Amino acid sequence: MSSTATRPDTNYLLRKLHSLSGIVPVGAFLAEHFWSNSAALVSAAKYDEVSRDLQTIPFRPLVEWAFIFLPMLYHAGYGIYIWIRGKSNISSYPWVGNWLYTTQRYTGLIAFAYIAWHLYTQRWLTHGKSTYAEVEQFFTNPYFLLFTAIGVLASSFHLGIGIWNFLCKWGLAATVKAQRAAGQLGFVVAFTFSLVGVLILISFRLDWHPFSYYWQK
Amino acid sequence: MAEKKVILKIKRQSSPGQPAHWEEFSLRWRPSMNIIICLRDIAENPVTRDGKKTTPVSYDSNCLEEVCGSCAMVINGKVKMACSALVDQLTQPITIEPMTKFPIVRDLAVNRQFMFDSLQRVKAWIPIDGTYSLGEGPRVAPEIQEKGYPLSRCMTCGLCLEVCPQVNSGNNFVGAAIISQVRLFNMHPTGAMHAKERIRALQGEGGIEECANVQNCVQACPKAIPLTESIAEVNREAWKQSLVGWLLG
Repeated sequence: MSSTATRPDTNYLLRKLHSLSGIVPVGAFLAEHFWSNSAALVSAAKYDEVSRDLQTIPFRPLVEWAFIFLPMLYHAGYGIYIWIRGKSNISSYPWVGNWLYTTQRYTGLIAFAYIAWHLYTQRWLTHGKSTYAEVEQFFTNPYFLLFTAIGVLASSFHLGIGIWNFLCKWGLAATVKAQRAAGQLGFVVAFTFSLVGVLILISFRLDWHPFSYYWQK
Repeated sequence: MAEKKVILKIKRQSSPGQPAHWEEFSLRWRPSMNIIICLRDIAENPVTRDGKKTTPVSYDSNCLEEVCGSCAMVINGKVKMACSALVDQLTQPITIEPMTKFPIVRDLAVNRQFMFDSLQRVKAWIPIDGTYSLGEGPRVAPEIQEKGYPLSRCMTCGLCLEVCPQVNSGNNFVGAAIISQVRLFNMHPTGAMHAKERIRALQGEGGIEECANVQNCVQACPKAIPLTESIAEVNREAWKQSLVGWLLG
């Protein structure tokens, strides 16, 4: 194709789609998921209420496939394709950006493995019916709890670094100052998501509901 | 008192298909030596450290003041311009290897034709000639001049490609230098007349999408060119042109 053609190559569009899909809908869903699960921090009843609301959304299979499963599969699949086309040189050039590049690849892989297991055990086997009691029971297994904690941290940091990458790669943060700020934003997101995720796990494990006083008022 | 020495280990290869081997050299130390001086010393007296006669080491160099971009080599494991790599700042024995991202011609000389072809592909020039006089172009605002000058210091040395994990044999990524040149020529008021073609050329195979925001390029650039800023700016123009252009023309 000549360079004067107006349409970009498919590769360009697929790569842009990969970058965008990490933020919307995949990243946005992660935010929604953590938000909904935070209901556990209020009470078991609140969790079950939120869970029931989500289970009864209209067009549920369509919404799940179009906005969660397919985008995630695409993001993971194309991500692996990107990974194998790069050649890490972290040992020769151990700069921060190079470390983040490597971290982004491994956190992505860990998150993908975790999410596959998470979907199988807590979406497929449960037929999408999640209750507080079941989740609490699930987390009595310490290995399940540990793998979930690892999955939460990997997903959170993958999103944080991804936000930095996204803002730089779409030219929304172009100057050195803006890119530094984008990096800080990514770190805050990674840290906040990790913290909230771990708090939710503690909530299920210890039956701990720090916001339960909302109910009593 | 024993004479102070400079010990070098150089990776040598007599022609593209031949196997590589290492040779050690011991040179007389003088103040302010750089790697090019060392290679010249070897050319004057091509004898290895253990007294064997050998051939002078092949390498590219020209200006000796870090503006021509021809003498990039991997020195002590990190890619540098040989002319500004000072012996006194390097741990000995100093290892010298050719860059790994370009085809080897001989010893330390590599062929950077890929970069020049890429510059051609993105039309990294400003067309000023026609079959008739095109007259004077528009004036360049001082603000644009100030932004453009640092970008114009690019000497196509290849350091940014050498350190980029995304530039490798399985991937035709053009690299940071070329993307930055697109920004330079697109910001020039006459060059801007071909802005869309340059952007489009970067949306083909090995184009701007291969950048993974590793930012090694900006760390390695010997001319301190704001390469990551250039990539971000060109990236923004690229998606605006393709995605918004598709919607709004």
